[in-house]
Amino acid sequence: MIARACAHENEVAEVLRRGQWPSACAPELRAHVNTCRLCGDFVLVAESFQRARAEAASAAPVVSPGALWWRAQLRRRNAAVERIGKPILGAQIFALATNLVLVVVFLAYQARHGVGWLTWLEQLPESYKLHLDQLGQQLGQSAHLNPGWSLAVLIPSTATLALLGGVVAYLASEKQ
Amino acid sequence: MKEPLPMHRESVLPKVLAGDAPRVEDPPMDSDAFAGFYERSARPLWAYLARVSGDPTLADDLMQESFVRFLCASRPEEGEVAGRRYLFSIATNLLRDYWRRRRQVSIEELPDELMASNPSSLSEGLIGPALARMKPRERQLLWLAHAEGYTHREIAEITGLASASIRLLLFRARRKIASLLREQSSTPRRQP
Repeated sequence: MIARACAHENEVAEVLRRGQWPSACAPELRAHVNTCRLCGDFVLVAESFQRARAEAASAAPVVSPGALWWRAQLRRRNAAVERIGKPILGAQIFALATNLVLVVVFLAYQARHGVGWLTWLEQLPESYKLHLDQLGQQLGQSAHLNPGWSLAVLIPSTATLALLGGVVAYLASEKQ
Repeated sequence: MKEPLPMHRESVLPKVLAGDAPRVEDPPMDSDAFAGFYERSARPLWAYLARVSGDPTLADDLMQESFVRFLCASRPEEGEVAGRRYLFSIATNLLRDYWRRRRQVSIEELPDELMASNPSSLSEGLIGPALARMKPRERQLLWLAHAEGYTHREIAEITGLASASIRLLLFRARRKIASLLREQSSTPRRQP
């Protein structure tokens, strides 16, 4: 299809845009539109769309601009926080991964060469060995604890729990 | 749409350490200026979205999203006319995304209410049935040209089409809808 344009199309468009159609425009132009199919189409379509626009605009439900403004502000802030949080999250993941690797390497080394660092506990005098059953008795607890559980187990376990608890608390506070 | 510039760690960390972050960039206009712009632009934008999509509820959602994205975009101050053109281009992209998503959903997955005809006040009048028989792209072009009065170059900017093709596409669409409008006006309306 060839898009043929009428020489009067711009003139007709200008008259329509100014709201001069049909009463305030030149009679020659009106006569031309009545005979020219292209300009006739143009006027018919433009008038229909202008009417439809006025009709639809009057039916438009308009929400408060303030609500949209704050929604946009919130979104901008969240986007900024997310952009800043990305490198920090990356650093946290890297630190966690490094620590895990170190722990695994350490444990593997200890498994291969024996837990030599625990031998100092064996050298402690018998009187200084703190058994859990004695501790239970001191605290007046009725529960019976295995007397074999010594300080050698208690100290590393407590230290590990404290470390993990600290990491979890830190990560949780970072998320909030 | 223009994406905001990415923040680099080198530029962000000093601000974080100084307790200066996160800092949100200033929006393109203040709240009072936005209220005025909204008053003048919301109704025409809603009319465009409602008529082109044929769904007033969707038009509500897309209009709000368009304004929010408009405010979130970091772009130089260009005045109200350019701002409105930019707003229409956001709305046009949102409409295109919506249609693209709907095409990806199989017809079995669509809820029944979407498949039923949506009788609304907007489908009344002469142009409603004629517009319903046009393609979405044709509806967009016709609306932007004849309801909003945008030039071919501006329509190209809004729709992302080549400026040279707008003329031909608009010519075809105008011819098609004019014949539909003439056909409708010559056919007597059925009484309910």
